[in-house]
Amino acid sequence: MSDTAITARGLTKRYNGDILAVDGLDLDVPCGTIYALLGPNGAGKTTTVSMLTTLLRPTAGTATVAGYDVVSASAQVRARIGVTFQETVLDKDLRGQEVLDYHGRLYGMPRAERARRIAELLALVELDEAAPRLVKGYSGGMKRRLELARGLMTDPEVLFLDEPTQGLDPQNRAKVWEYLGTLRTRRGLTILLTTHDMEEADTLADRVAIVDHGKLIVEGTPRELVTGMGADVIRIQGAGESEALVEALGKMPFVQTIHRGDGLIQVGVDQGNRRLPEIVTCANQSGFRIEFIAVARPTLADVFLRHTGRALRDV
Amino acid sequence: MTATFDLWHKHMTKFFRNGEATFGMLLQPVLWVVLFGVGMQAMLEAGGGGLLPQSSSGGGVSGAGYIGFMLPGIITLSALAGAVAGGATLLDERLRGIVKEYLVAPIPRYSILLANALSTVTKGLFQALVIVLIGLAFGAHLAPDPASWGLALLFAALYTLGIAGLALAVAAVVSSTLGYHGLIALDLPLLFASDAFYPLDVLPSWMGWIARLNPTTYVIDTLRRLMYGVSYVGQMPGWLSALVLVGFAALGMALATLAFRAEIRARGGAV
Repeated sequence: MSDTAITARGLTKRYNGDILAVDGLDLDVPCGTIYALLGPNGAGKTTTVSMLTTLLRPTAGTATVAGYDVVSASAQVRARIGVTFQETVLDKDLRGQEVLDYHGRLYGMPRAERARRIAELLALVELDEAAPRLVKGYSGGMKRRLELARGLMTDPEVLFLDEPTQGLDPQNRAKVWEYLGTLRTRRGLTILLTTHDMEEADTLADRVAIVDHGKLIVEGTPRELVTGMGADVIRIQGAGESEALVEALGKMPFVQTIHRGDGLIQVGVDQGNRRLPEIVTCANQSGFRIEFIAVARPTLADVFLRHTGRALRDV
Repeated sequence: MTATFDLWHKHMTKFFRNGEATFGMLLQPVLWVVLFGVGMQAMLEAGGGGLLPQSSSGGGVSGAGYIGFMLPGIITLSALAGAVAGGATLLDERLRGIVKEYLVAPIPRYSILLANALSTVTKGLFQALVIVLIGLAFGAHLAPDPASWGLALLFAALYTLGIAGLALAVAAVVSSTLGYHGLIALDLPLLFASDAFYPLDVLPSWMGWIARLNPTTYVIDTLRRLMYGVSYVGQMPGWLSALVLVGFAALGMALATLAFRAEIRARGGAV
């Protein structure tokens, strides 16, 4: 039994000859971790998950999930995984508990085990009272929570969550994060989630892989990734002589890193609150008009900008 | 195979929970018999009775006239409507992504289609029962032999499986509801190019040949023979009907499976 739940080597998906959705992706997801694929929309995250969950045939490359090859042993992979998709995929004419029950039946779960698991999972996602009602009447947040329960129903080794909180209001988003947090202690479960929300990756994930244009950009724990960005990051947007400003900033001793992209200048410093006034003065002297300036701890969005020169847009 | 049963169970649960669908299923045959059958019978009898179908022993359908003659056609019509609905269900599940849940589960692909087709067959058999009861109410005399009944239901089931398969094949490859209904409208001629509503020997020869190539003719013939215990002039031999229907069921389901898998492969999916 290896200690890697998911591995991918050179995973590639090309559509219709020239659309390259995933471009030679390598992945190593350790067992028992919560692993996030972080990237903007169109980065190839969903396509990657589709290949790992045996829904899509890779154009090139290999992948194994729970120890089995996704192409040559797809049935074995399917038996060991749970999946929630980006869009809600629920039979609205069934009752909540029936959705879970039929799902369990498809995976060969005996009746007693299904009953036990349904009770346990409905409690976890707080849908016990709603369970006998038809899914038709559930709110968006309730449907998402039911889907999470369904993904866990068969006690999978690997759970794939594609944008698990997309479109959810903050309250439901927090609930889902809470449920995922309690799953962290569950032995034998590896979770791979995709997201374009850096806060989600930062909060939930043990490890993060930043992807863009179908490629792996950088990978590590959230802490590792922001190392070297400076203790604080000052973000500046504005108009004018940005070249001159960057040159002047580079000469200041407390400035650790400078990155630019997408109209944003990102300056890593030792103490943001103290250095802020000096930076403003520097801008004025360099002929740069600041329109927006902020100080914060470095985030994964800053890491994204640093590596790709583009902003990780929050949709 | 258990996956087939589980998905069949799900389809049946959803269907009976839907009051409108169940009501429609029961009402439709009643309407056909009453609105179409009564009128046709009156018209044929008014013409002196000479146009009523003749049995090979010389009499018409055991006293029930045209209604008795056309009951198997109504059963078949219901089966066709059921097949169309079954295909629409698959299309709906494809478009809403529910099929993804099936594809990601460790179940054989054919289960998805077989479960759908079997639920169509099940509903068709329910309807056949209703239709027969209505026929009795209108005076048709039916053969009292239960073995004949069992066989009749079996052949009706085989035919339904075949057309369900054809509808599923269409549903598997189209990309919209509009496209589905556009193509599936071609199913009704299947019924009319058979001896459902008129005996073969009154048809012009070119149409007679089309009818002989149509599996619908064989199931209608078989149902008449088994339900009424009468043979008709121009009816197909029993062994031939059985062969055609078994082959048709197999062909329909094979087409459905092939179409389903081909569509998945064409969009880069994994079967």
